Amino acid sequence: MSDEKYEEKYVELEINDVKDTLLPRPWPVTEPRKREELYAPWVKDPRDPDGSYGEFVEENIHYKKAVGKPWALDGIIVLDCTVMGMAGAIAASYLGELGATVIKVEPIEGDPQRYWYPFGREEYAFEDIYTGEKVSPTFIHEHRNEYSITLNLETEKGREIFKRLAVHADIILENYPPGTFDEWGIGYRQLSRINPRLIYAWFGQLGQWGSMKDRTSKYGQWMLDPVGLSASEYVHSTGFPADLLPREFGGNPTRSGEWVGDIVAGVWGTVGILAALYYRENVSGRGQFIEATSAESYMEILDFNISWYAYDGSIKARIGGWDPNLNQYAWNPCKDGYMMIGGQSDRLWYRILQVIAQEDPEGARLIAEDPFLKEMAARNALEGLIKTYTVTAHWLVNNTRAEAEAKMNAREVAAAPVLMIDEIAEYEHFVYRGHVIEVMDEHYGRVLVSNSPLAHQHRTPARIKWVGRPLGLDNGEIFARYLGIGPEEMKKLAREGVTTWYHE
Amino acid sequence: MEKKVWDPSPPGSWSFDPPRDKDPVTGEDMEKIPFEEYCRRMFDPDKLWEKPEALKGWRHISSTMYILSPHVGATLGEFGAEVIKVEMPKLGDPMRHTSPFNEAYLWPETDHRPQVGTGMGFLHANDNKYFITLDYHAPEAKELYYDLIRISDSMAECYRPGTFYRWGIGYPQLKEVNPRLIYIYLGGFGNYGPRRYGGSYDILGQAVGGLAAITGWHEDFGGHPTKQTNWLIDWYSGLTGLIGVLAAAHYRRKTGLGTFIDLSQISCSTRATGYAFPLYGRFGVVRQRWGNWDTLLSVHGIIMTGRTDDPEHPNPQISVESRYVMVSAFQDDDFRELCYIIGRPDLWEKYSSARERVKPEAQIEIYRALEEWASDKSRSEVVEILNNAGLIAVPVFSAKDVYECEHFWERGTLRWIDDPIFGDVLVHGATVKMSETPPRVKWVWRPIGADNIRIYHELLGYPLPKLKELWEKGVI
Repeated sequence: MSDEKYEEKYVELEINDVKDTLLPRPWPVTEPRKREELYAPWVKDPRDPDGSYGEFVEENIHYKKAVGKPWALDGIIVLDCTVMGMAGAIAASYLGELGATVIKVEPIEGDPQRYWYPFGREEYAFEDIYTGEKVSPTFIHEHRNEYSITLNLETEKGREIFKRLAVHADIILENYPPGTFDEWGIGYRQLSRINPRLIYAWFGQLGQWGSMKDRTSKYGQWMLDPVGLSASEYVHSTGFPADLLPREFGGNPTRSGEWVGDIVAGVWGTVGILAALYYRENVSGRGQFIEATSAESYMEILDFNISWYAYDGSIKARIGGWDPNLNQYAWNPCKDGYMMIGGQSDRLWYRILQVIAQEDPEGARLIAEDPFLKEMAARNALEGLIKTYTVTAHWLVNNTRAEAEAKMNAREVAAAPVLMIDEIAEYEHFVYRGHVIEVMDEHYGRVLVSNSPLAHQHRTPARIKWVGRPLGLDNGEIFARYLGIGPEEMKKLAREGVTTWYHE
Repeated sequence: MEKKVWDPSPPGSWSFDPPRDKDPVTGEDMEKIPFEEYCRRMFDPDKLWEKPEALKGWRHISSTMYILSPHVGATLGEFGAEVIKVEMPKLGDPMRHTSPFNEAYLWPETDHRPQVGTGMGFLHANDNKYFITLDYHAPEAKELYYDLIRISDSMAECYRPGTFYRWGIGYPQLKEVNPRLIYIYLGGFGNYGPRRYGGSYDILGQAVGGLAAITGWHEDFGGHPTKQTNWLIDWYSGLTGLIGVLAAAHYRRKTGLGTFIDLSQISCSTRATGYAFPLYGRFGVVRQRWGNWDTLLSVHGIIMTGRTDDPEHPNPQISVESRYVMVSAFQDDDFRELCYIIGRPDLWEKYSSARERVKPEAQIEIYRALEEWASDKSRSEVVEILNNAGLIAVPVFSAKDVYECEHFWERGTLRWIDDPIFGDVLVHGATVKMSETPPRVKWVWRPIGADNIRIYHELLGYPLPKLKELWEKGVI
């Protein structure tokens, strides 16, 4: 072996501008192993000794086998009128991925999300191959399988057209400030008259009614995530405590990197919508009014926090990467990043110690023989957490993520590294399973996106057909199909400022 | 706050066929009343028990542990399904032994161990369920399980891939028993792929799926990847799975065929990373953490104020930690107003374009100025000043603030329920508000095997001596 192989090579890059760092790269850099290798006869698998289960799953559940399968929500028409917030976008994309026809109704100038570039950098925009129109990666990612039409709901004419469209709709999604649609005459109480089968869902941060409902600033700015997260004590209980990490280094209550309050509200809203759909189809034949808010949706995820407060006045504090409920169940620093190790039941807990004992027998014995740590529930006391994690972290500093993962997995312990975005895109298992996939889009070319979690199904898997669309692309088709409005009338409407017409 | 007891309400039917145009009780014209009042009546939490349930008649078998997979059943149960949770005899779900710092328990857990309670960690993922026990390892278990599946609409399980198949109750076998069955597997790595045998937890999903990579302070500011509090990925992935189940039920209505859903919670975490993957795929830019600020909008983040409202309170969570405010003023007018309020009109001059003020350097300067301004004010002063100026500012609530917030009580989100076994428990029911078929919490959980007789004898019709025999063998 030559030494050259181990010599680190630095490539001198002259970076004068942000643009110089924007290097597109091939994906995936390494192809995952082939199926034949993974299920080869020498791969001894105690749960599936003859390989028949693996065979069944690969043949029927694999996401690549989805092509040509039916769509679960075939024939359901959704009008997505949400702008700015993510909740509606998430709901619309889940419905769209499962086969519903989702029509995004945008104002003339488009959903502001289209122009929200990360850190305001226009260099990160995706360009339409045909027109050069720019759009943000957020919009591309969240508005999959949606048609885009423009309709100015602030005009009388626009609302009239919207009403005619609502006659065809099964589901309407909306997130304008409370009462806006009602004032415009296109709220639930008006639309349910003309379409009693309509399921109408409103998304927001705090609610349409109540003493702390959603409101706008005096200049009309909406409330957006993380308002709901702040009001649901999510923020209060997330992050590192100040005695673990000083406040000036981030030991503060922390919001999520993504707008998870909206994501959760979107998912809860979708569950409500589908339950309402089930009820409509099987029982009542009519729709209903649904409201999903970030604060309340997130409160369910916060689990027992509020019940705990009611129980004995305890307020959940921040505890960093640890968890006060389970031991072991945390990520701790290791040689090259952070490593998550989990195992709560006695069986798994002692397996972790067996792995640690091979390199740190004294530390492992200290824990294994501690009478205080013998019982599963007793280990959750703060003292137990500190003892356990001290030993684990000691072991971890001598191991890289890959080493620790391999050693723990050999004993079937749930362990995994904290991965950065690029590492996730390259992680073999995720590439194999298509957690991250490349979509070949007509307008934006190859786009790397995270796949729908519902993509792995026997009969009706979710699929991504296209990513976000250029503004008003489907005006012609949708207006003609549902409203009988042809190009001539479209032109007239475009001149009146009700909609837009691409060809003019 | 006073405990609210939910009385049966005055006569007038909101169920099945509510009149659209007038209030069934007062006869008022619903078209004429103000919108907020209209919503209040449509979603009135006092009317909850007069309204029908969306999934009446649906039966779900929940062969589950922890949070992720039980949550599917709990939510189906809240919508009115009959949910049967199958636990290992005597031991039960490990989540029963889970309680914050081993502190809060409700007794009893089971008849066998009256001195052991079930921990608060079990709460909310097991609402409205019936609890039976079954040892899948026993040779008799297979037939018992088939009998349950024959009369069920859906089932959820979370054991490692192939385990149920080996026990003879995997999807390939069960779809022969009941072709209408919607079978959902919920786990970390899914049923196929090189790492399919890895176990998983919520925190694993966050770590390996991408949420950890983008939450917390940036490395350059001294931060670390930060865990989202309490099991976000478990709860949210369970709901995502439920979307699949309900959509499959829609398909089954037409075809009579169920499906198998292989849900990976890691995939749900990856789905929640926003623009990270398009950005990486196109430009090779790896999205990093950005603390309490926002990468798309500015000002739209959380700042620290000088002090809390109650610095004398014995609990440091109230006296020290409750001092953060979420400030949102990203539109031009709002931002200008904010700059004038904090006495820094120069910031407005400098960053009058929305794009300019989202740049990292600008954000650092702006948020620093904000925190400096707030450093001699308390949390409520900051909120008051900004709200009085017509801007959006919300205090960062602790559990105490949430509990004391009237808003959540009047909406029925927080409520005391009178649990048949455990008495008064505070729950947050009705997470999603529905005008006709609202979800509801009936009981929080029951002891292990509490419904063995109800299900095996009263539902399936097994004679009692047979059950006694199975019980003696340790099968149930």
